[in-house]
Amino acid sequence: MSEKEKDENITALSDPAEVARTAREALRRAARGLAAYHFDACVRCGLCGESCHIYKTDPVPENLPGAKAAKVASFFRRYHTVLGRIAPFLVGARTLTAEALDELVEAAYGRCTGCGRCGLNCSVGADVGAIIRAGRNVLAAVGKVPPNLQAVVDNQLRTGNQMAITPQELRDTAAWVSEDLRLEMGDDGVKVHVDEPGKRVFYLVNPREVKFFPLSLMAAAGVFHAAGESWTMSSRFYDVTNYGLFSGDDSAAAAITKQAVEEAERLGAEEIILSECGHGFRSFRWEGPNWLGERYAVPMRSILELMLEYLRDGRIRVDPAKNPDRVTLHDPCNLVRWGGVVEPQREVLRRVTTDFVEMVPNREQNFCCGGGGGMLSMSEYGDRRVASGEVKAEQIRATGAKVVAAPCHNCADQLLELNKKYKLGVEVKAVVELVYEALVL
Amino acid sequence: MLVVERIVAAASLAWAAALLLAQLLLAWGGGRKDYSVRAGSPGRAVLFNLTAAMAPAHKEAARLHPGKFAVGVALHVGVAVAVVEALAAMVRPEAGPLRPTAAGTLAALSVVAGLYLLARRALSRTLRFMSCPDDYVAAAVTSGFILAAALYAFGVLAASPFLIFTAFTFFYLPLGKLRHVLFCPVSRVDLGRRLGYRGTYPAPRATKS
Repeated sequence: MSEKEKDENITALSDPAEVARTAREALRRAARGLAAYHFDACVRCGLCGESCHIYKTDPVPENLPGAKAAKVASFFRRYHTVLGRIAPFLVGARTLTAEALDELVEAAYGRCTGCGRCGLNCSVGADVGAIIRAGRNVLAAVGKVPPNLQAVVDNQLRTGNQMAITPQELRDTAAWVSEDLRLEMGDDGVKVHVDEPGKRVFYLVNPREVKFFPLSLMAAAGVFHAAGESWTMSSRFYDVTNYGLFSGDDSAAAAITKQAVEEAERLGAEEIILSECGHGFRSFRWEGPNWLGERYAVPMRSILELMLEYLRDGRIRVDPAKNPDRVTLHDPCNLVRWGGVVEPQREVLRRVTTDFVEMVPNREQNFCCGGGGGMLSMSEYGDRRVASGEVKAEQIRATGAKVVAAPCHNCADQLLELNKKYKLGVEVKAVVELVYEALVL
Repeated sequence: MLVVERIVAAASLAWAAALLLAQLLLAWGGGRKDYSVRAGSPGRAVLFNLTAAMAPAHKEAARLHPGKFAVGVALHVGVAVAVVEALAAMVRPEAGPLRPTAAGTLAALSVVAGLYLLARRALSRTLRFMSCPDDYVAAAVTSGFILAAALYAFGVLAASPFLIFTAFTFFYLPLGKLRHVLFCPVSRVDLGRRLGYRGTYPAPRATKS
């Protein structure tokens, strides 16, 4: 993507006619073969409230999933149904205007994380997550993405990662993490490999690991080393996140996907391994090929699946007694419900801990922690985000766990905040950290 | 016998079918090719989403609201009864209603369910917030259709006015909220297919709230 295209990408449209035309076209594209099936499925029965963590903690009508979906559907009905065209008031159809779209911003970004739990439990089966994302597609097309969320997307497009970390910073971090790791493992051969062509695995991480929480990067490097894995990162494109998924800008999402996938090809990797990141997994594994309109040349899976393979194949040996505290598992929505990675993390945790307990509900029925959908980057909705996390906090408290395994860095950030706010007294760790701590070298 | 009424009802049915089909094709719009590498079984997941996933054991909305779930089921049983009676009346009006006592009783119970849902929508602040006029019209049309079927089954209403009611219902069906008769199963197929493709569904092991 050129600099000019990047600038155009973030420019809000100002001409009302242009806004309406662009929004209408974006809605048509977003709906076709996906949300269009769901707009007219919702019967507005109102039974979806208990399935939504935001409504459960603030039961106002605006937070009801069906009400949020109805806002997006009202635009679709205006242009794509008979009564919407001739008697819009009868079917609650609204004309796409800049003002109407402004009203949609809060419903689409501020009151929904797109976790999709309501869709699974909907009376009729309407996928509210798909409907809301169609709304975000429309808002992104007319430049109405909340500025802080858009800033993350811009960082990814301009610098290759969401935190604008320079390649030198990455190399420096890799160097000192390697040094610490050598001391901790007592092995001079262990290191964080960067920009090494011809390695089997190309590893993508959350920039949060590089900038603020290097323990999970260190743990992954230790596990890779213990397994005798051939692996590398890139100093240019190593970001597993993709905020285009959250903003609704599919062209930006495609560009972000492309830069990492092409880097893996350039380095000659045989497999791309994705660090523990819910939306990153969903974006790269499932949405990315469709954003690009082609299959990847290099296969891809989560580090959770790879670690399970190591354990099953005996490539790493572990002693669960090294993790004696009670551990529970948080199911990130984009990894589990939308990603299909449901059991590997469970089998890994059963092998590396002595007291693993499930939250209730769990797996595809898990509740969102409140930090999904880009919420963590939109400070204007911060209070609602933390308040909505109460559902997750109470789930954690009920397990009596001392450690929460969170295979997603966004979720981990939210859980750390919930830990303080709701005085849970837990440690939040990545699964790879627990595996690393259980290693028998 | 009742040639005009039967033709009008049949024409309305054809209109409904044609318009629903057209809307489905527009929603499909050529479909979407999935370029990602499949991990699960979409077919099994679609089956799951159309069956077990709709039962209270899997569907929280039903589990947490058993009364409202039962009312919804009752309403739809009545709709099915009314449609069967309407089709029978269109084909052989001289034969009269099918199993009049059972059909009439089910339809009458269903009318009560329909009126309850209509009243609930009118009285609930939350439901009013998210409702449009079509929600009330659709509920009224449906309840009216089922009431007509009940009265027809009990011999209170003649075939002629019942067929006129039927024609009106079929005419309205593809225009407003009643379209969910098509889009409910379609959305279940679509969501099930996508979740199955990724390996999330079918999900027999989830622990519920």
